[in-house]
Amino acid sequence: MSSIAPVAPELVIALSALFTLFSDAVFRRRERAGAWIGAVGCLLAAGLSASGGSGLTLFGGQIAVDGAALFARTITLLLATAFFVWLAGAGLRGGGVRQFAALAMFGILGALLVISARDWVVLLLALETATMPAYVLMGFERRADRGLEGALKYFLFSMVSSVVFFYGISFIVGMSGSTSFAATTLQPGAIGLVAAVFVVAGLLAKLSAVPFQWWAPDAYSAAPAASVAFVSSIPKIAGLIAFARVVALLAPQARGLTVVVAGAAVLSMLLGNLAAYPQQDLRRLMAYSGIAHAGYLLVGLAAGTAGGLRAASFYAVAYAIPSMAIMLIVAGVGVRLDDFKGLASRRPYLAWTMTLLLLSLIGVPPLAGFTGKLFVFTAAISGGLLWVAVLGVALSVVAAGFYLRIVRAMFFSEPVGTPTAPAPSPLSVAAILLCAAAVVAVGVMSSPLLSIIAFTPH
Amino acid sequence: MSALLTVIVFLPLAGVAITALIPRSRGGSAKWVAVTVMAVDLALVAWLVANFDRARAGVAQFVVNVPWVAQAGIRYHMGADGISLVMLVLSTLLGLIAVVASWKVTDRAPTYFAMLLLLQVGMNGVFLALDFVLFYVFWELVLVPMFFLIGMWGGTRREYASIKFFLYTLAGSVFMLVGIIALYLATGTFDITALAAKGAAGVLGIGFQNWVFLAFFLGFAVKVPIWPLHTWLPDAHVEAPTAASALLAGVLLKMGAYGFIRISLPILPAAARAWAPWIALLAAISIVYGAAVAFAQTDLKKLIAYSSVSHMGFVMLGIASLTTVGLNGAVAVMFSHGLVTGMLFLVVGIVYDRAHTREISELSGLSVAMPVTGGLLAFASFASLGLPALSGFVGEFLSLLGSWESRVVPHWITVVAAFGVLLAAAYMLWMVLRVVLGKPSEKVAALPDATLREVVMLTPLIALIVTVGVWWGSLLGYVDPAVRAVLAVFGRAA
Repeated sequence: MSSIAPVAPELVIALSALFTLFSDAVFRRRERAGAWIGAVGCLLAAGLSASGGSGLTLFGGQIAVDGAALFARTITLLLATAFFVWLAGAGLRGGGVRQFAALAMFGILGALLVISARDWVVLLLALETATMPAYVLMGFERRADRGLEGALKYFLFSMVSSVVFFYGISFIVGMSGSTSFAATTLQPGAIGLVAAVFVVAGLLAKLSAVPFQWWAPDAYSAAPAASVAFVSSIPKIAGLIAFARVVALLAPQARGLTVVVAGAAVLSMLLGNLAAYPQQDLRRLMAYSGIAHAGYLLVGLAAGTAGGLRAASFYAVAYAIPSMAIMLIVAGVGVRLDDFKGLASRRPYLAWTMTLLLLSLIGVPPLAGFTGKLFVFTAAISGGLLWVAVLGVALSVVAAGFYLRIVRAMFFSEPVGTPTAPAPSPLSVAAILLCAAAVVAVGVMSSPLLSIIAFTPH
Repeated sequence: MSALLTVIVFLPLAGVAITALIPRSRGGSAKWVAVTVMAVDLALVAWLVANFDRARAGVAQFVVNVPWVAQAGIRYHMGADGISLVMLVLSTLLGLIAVVASWKVTDRAPTYFAMLLLLQVGMNGVFLALDFVLFYVFWELVLVPMFFLIGMWGGTRREYASIKFFLYTLAGSVFMLVGIIALYLATGTFDITALAAKGAAGVLGIGFQNWVFLAFFLGFAVKVPIWPLHTWLPDAHVEAPTAASALLAGVLLKMGAYGFIRISLPILPAAARAWAPWIALLAAISIVYGAAVAFAQTDLKKLIAYSSVSHMGFVMLGIASLTTVGLNGAVAVMFSHGLVTGMLFLVVGIVYDRAHTREISELSGLSVAMPVTGGLLAFASFASLGLPALSGFVGEFLSLLGSWESRVVPHWITVVAAFGVLLAAAYMLWMVLRVVLGKPSEKVAALPDATLREVVMLTPLIALIVTVGVWWGSLLGYVDPAVRAVLAVFGRAA
């Protein structure tokens, strides 16, 4: 058994996904059983991931679990557990919970492999496994007018970015004569930098960072909120970890790569924060917020230090938890800002939970978002990016402005019309409350988490 | 006894948890929870004062210091020296009084009292934190409950005022965060005590100190507030409900001045000396500008708000003097302004509750129609304008004396600032003349006077205002050793 230990969580998820696909034979028409299988599978896999520890390798080093992978896999699986518990409680308005859950599980499988991949081809395959189910999830409401349009935009753009990524890899493999990270050697000069920039560009698109961000607002605003909750949060952790590995691997060999990353960071923070302000559709607002937070992640990576990678990994979690929980609340309440007006008087607990999550995204201490920003900016300033950090904190005030618009709608405004959203099920509320508790816990008790995150050299 | 400060800071958080569980139908019980928690908190602080070693008031006592985020060098480090202790007394006393003053609040009462309790956690913590990250946590924590207090229970322009308050102060403090990080990277520690030791040892270059000082200045000066960063204050004070106004003026403004004393001066002494004349200049402008604008106000709350800008100018003048006398004066003004302005807002609240107006032109003859309320307003106004034998006099006198003695503040600035004392007397007396004296106006004539609860709640403030005014030593005995410790780095200070 010890030989497959590094991929034990992946195996559990793969089996759960297959079981879910064919579960109608067992559970008949009880669709939500699919979500329950997902929740149990993810929790079991999280336990295996946590107890498996780090320092494992498989397939001649193509897959390796270091501290960062241990951290990212476990958190991804716990977050996915919360998502499936929510799904089991809330269901989907158009039905299809079983298929939805199976697709999400395949996406998680890909994300887990992205986290521990140490080989260019494995990384490419894992990225595709993580992304392809997302195309379907984004277009899950087939009857919605713009559902297909958004999914198609997402699909086309994602394929293009994968091709760009693949093109970059082909250069790298050609130069180093091997597909493994460990053997990667870039030729000095322009060709090495071009290869590195192609690879990074492909990954920037997966993180929805500038200049490859423009698919996100359109795709998100055409998709069901539950899909956005999943796609905008859980794969981001995996994407960031892969990005961190690639930057750590290529930056020493390709001078100028960190400048590209820093530039993308600055533009993402600027565009995301400024464009989020006027949005009335919360899916669009959270899409721009995601672009802005991708910028903060990249600030940590651009620092190019071990501390920077660690900070960015922590920040990815500090972003993903509240971001997913907010979209889950949106899925229950409504996607328009007007739907949130007067929520405090209708569902005070939901309104306060939403407030806590938004405050974390603003970066108010002692919540996770603050701790993440503290680490990222510390890494940035120590890496000589003082002005990037100053810009980042200044823009976080702008961010406070648009996040507080939601708080103002909930607390300071009267409801518009008669709200039609049904009362949320206790189970879905429990999942959201767990996320809120995690936001507090991750912020206050960052020390144990930080001690796990460590990137081993390739 | 190292757990005592932790209990004092976080006890109100337990109160928040309890009030959150109160069902809406039993909302009336929230105030009992709040008043109990605040009273116990104040009692603990009283115990702290009784067991405080005054001979060692210059060093932090009741220290708790354990690792928090070991990887980043962040510690859970709190302690109280003389200055902290005085501010803590102010914060917990006004916190309790604010709850009593809100006794008639029935609109979403559990949430209201939960916000007051949460605010108390931040206020207490700021004055005790000795780790920079911990300090920042408490510093920012204050924003959230105050945002909701103004936005949910405020006046007609509450939404605008609450968002302006939040964004303005956040904008100042995020630059402080950059300064904190830069300081950490230069010294390897977030510990305020250790940083002060490095500051005294002259480890940090003057160029670096100047930049970090500027970053901290933005954070602290917005909070104080110093002209021209004061524009959030009149909106927030006027729109906030009575208790929140009292806490905003009484405690929150002190956080900024406390930051200068606890952090900017000891850690960045060279920059502090270089910046002192400019801060003194801004302080003098604040004093005169605040007073001049107060003259023009027709709304009682706005008048008090601008008088706060003026009085906080005296605090900054005393700090900028870098003298023992001046800094003693600054802390004395902080304490006294907290008592006096807290009381002024509470008395105006009593009037507003009944008359539903704060327009000076519509109020007159309080002394006839509501003799007790009128007397309280007159008393607080006299304390505010700096009548000798009341607390307001001591601090402003010492502040001006320190700034005159100071070798960094030009004499002419002191002269300009002193002019502010005259202005304060003028606008306050003119207000008393119009509101308290004269024939009762139509709005005031049939109003009931202050109730026993309202009088009792103000009694501790009156007692302290008189005690400090008559017997300065009672306050400065705690403050002076701590001030000397802060100024030790500047050599022969006075």
